[in-house]
Amino acid sequence: MKMFKQLVVPVVALAMLAGSFGFAQAAPDTVKIGNIIPLSGPSASVGIQGKQAREMAVEEINSAGGIKSLGGAKLELLFADSKGDPTVGVTEAERMINSEKVHLLTGCWNSAVTYPTTQVAERYGIPFIVPVSVRDTITERGFKNVFRIAAKDGWWAKDQFVFLDDMKKEFNVDIKKVAFVYENGDWGVGFAEKWVDLAKERGYEVVLNEPYPSTASDLTPVVIKLKRAKPDVVFMTSNAADAILLTNTMAEMKVNVKAIISSGGGHADPSFLAAAGQNAEYLFDIVEWEADLNRPGLKETNDKYKKLYGHNLNGESVDAYAAMYVIKEALEQAGSNDPEALRKTLSEIQVCGGKVGLLAYDCIDFDESGQNKNASLVIVQTRTKGKEMDRITVWPKNVRRAGYTPVFPQPEK
Amino acid sequence: MLGIIEALINGILMGSIYGLTAVGLTLIFGVMKVINFAHGSILMVGMFAAYWFVILTGWNPYFAIPVVVPLLFWFGYYMQSFIIKPIFEAEKDVREPITVIIVTTGIWYVLDNLALMIFGAEFRVAKTSVTGQVFEFYEMYFLLPKVIGAGITMVCGIYLYWFLKHSRMGKAIRATSLDREAASLMGIKQAKIYNVAFGLGSACCGMAACVLIPFYYVYPTVGVPFDIKAFIIVVLGGLGSIPGAILGGIIVGIIENVGAQFMAATWTELLLYGVFLFVLLVKPSGLFGQKHDY
Repeated sequence: MKMFKQLVVPVVALAMLAGSFGFAQAAPDTVKIGNIIPLSGPSASVGIQGKQAREMAVEEINSAGGIKSLGGAKLELLFADSKGDPTVGVTEAERMINSEKVHLLTGCWNSAVTYPTTQVAERYGIPFIVPVSVRDTITERGFKNVFRIAAKDGWWAKDQFVFLDDMKKEFNVDIKKVAFVYENGDWGVGFAEKWVDLAKERGYEVVLNEPYPSTASDLTPVVIKLKRAKPDVVFMTSNAADAILLTNTMAEMKVNVKAIISSGGGHADPSFLAAAGQNAEYLFDIVEWEADLNRPGLKETNDKYKKLYGHNLNGESVDAYAAMYVIKEALEQAGSNDPEALRKTLSEIQVCGGKVGLLAYDCIDFDESGQNKNASLVIVQTRTKGKEMDRITVWPKNVRRAGYTPVFPQPEK
Repeated sequence: MLGIIEALINGILMGSIYGLTAVGLTLIFGVMKVINFAHGSILMVGMFAAYWFVILTGWNPYFAIPVVVPLLFWFGYYMQSFIIKPIFEAEKDVREPITVIIVTTGIWYVLDNLALMIFGAEFRVAKTSVTGQVFEFYEMYFLLPKVIGAGITMVCGIYLYWFLKHSRMGKAIRATSLDREAASLMGIKQAKIYNVAFGLGSACCGMAACVLIPFYYVYPTVGVPFDIKAFIIVVLGGLGSIPGAILGGIIVGIIENVGAQFMAATWTELLLYGVFLFVLLVKPSGLFGQKHDY
């Protein structure tokens, strides 16, 4: 024991002293960004795409010299797998903040996870950037540390109905009966609440209002119900697995409707199109972003992404990509990685052009609630193009792909 | 009304496929008294095997059966003999070895994450010659691959039942499940019986995988919803009973499909667990449970 005190203690003390010198001299700190996203479970594919987009952006930022106002500090990404589970998300946020000492958090894609997880960040005063999670209430709790880039679902649901109004006028088609089919998480239920109000305002008859568990192994019963309800238009909110099951089963059971309008998420996932193939023909999907948008630098970035990971960018991954550049800009302007300073900068920042300009709008600008007020939406139609499926921007009319006329109503099966 | 009949028949079809995965689970439990938590992952392995078979050869998906089913049999056989057996031996005096259950959970995580690393998280669908084929009666539609699947399940169930009742190996399996020690004293090699039981259980998953591939998708955690269902089915039908597992599967399928015609699909899970609790209250050993489970 005496030996221990004589030998080990001084050595440890010396090591610590030396270590602290080393620390003081190490020029630029790294900035730790904690990312809580679904890397396994039913939303894993979209989570992994978000991870890839973040990695590509951070690699670009770091190789371009890091954060200049912090002496070239590098960004460091830490990933936690939420499994799409709110409890896991909360635990991981606690771990990220307390053990990993992250300066910022981003995530979580699943609204049900983002909702409680942002609460943890708020309590610890860590800025939380939400690239995509559309549930309205995420930015409606008076939180100071939550910043959302994507549009909220109130805007999405409203634009779906405005789109339907425009289509009815453009093609002179009468629509009376609508059906709502949605996953029973926060996201789907949030959409459905809005849909019910919007349908009432416009005088549509709601023939089916059906939530389903997104972990269901069989959605045939939902499709049978939908077919028997005979709606003119179906509104859907689905994750990837259930979007595939619903779309394929609807095609097999020959469900005839005038249009299907989906809400991004699973329907915007590239693996959905690969798996559903021609069964997804004529589907309308609302998204924030599409690869055929005419934006400067988009093609180069998409080509680079495709070369690295083998698939195209989508709305979700572009938001995640832009989030990294927002963080970079905030760090540059704040000149500090202190969470409070970052929060303040983020609440005032306006990030325009550059990589952020890949989005469908020019600037990211957060209002007092932390919502990006410029976020806008487009609607695409899925069409067969050779062996693959193509998503063609059709609405608003001013951004419609040149020379394309949407198919509305869709032909009978 | 037609909607309910359509739902009923679709429930029976899908339910028999649930039953097929549950048969594998109940077989392993009956013999080893081990709940195999890796069962869903074994189904996933089978589905990836069948998927790649169909994609690479481009043949009719049911030609995958003679390849995937033996493959899964040996997969289960060797998994038991290399991974589970050593732990089992350490706990051989216990009737229901807990550590083995934990090991199967470990296998579940390892397999799912290996699949995630190797194949990625995408959802894959094999477009086969039977995909999307339907029968139509009075505006009711039934998927051809589901009908074939239900038929295959029945054949498998009957075959396994016969195998256990009459073949020499089947009798040895039954003897082991009734009384390990006595069976060993009669010269039955316990370890081999366990390997075969695990192999047969996995082969059932392989069969279910071949049946699912023509109309379902594959991804690394595809087994999880089937796994949860298989547990309910096995307990509902009676642990260790093969007819019980198939009937239990059909009951679950009917509840899911018909129930959803009267209430939101989210509520059918409530109904399912309600029926499950009721059966356990009235007949705790399950519908076909016997005093001596085999």
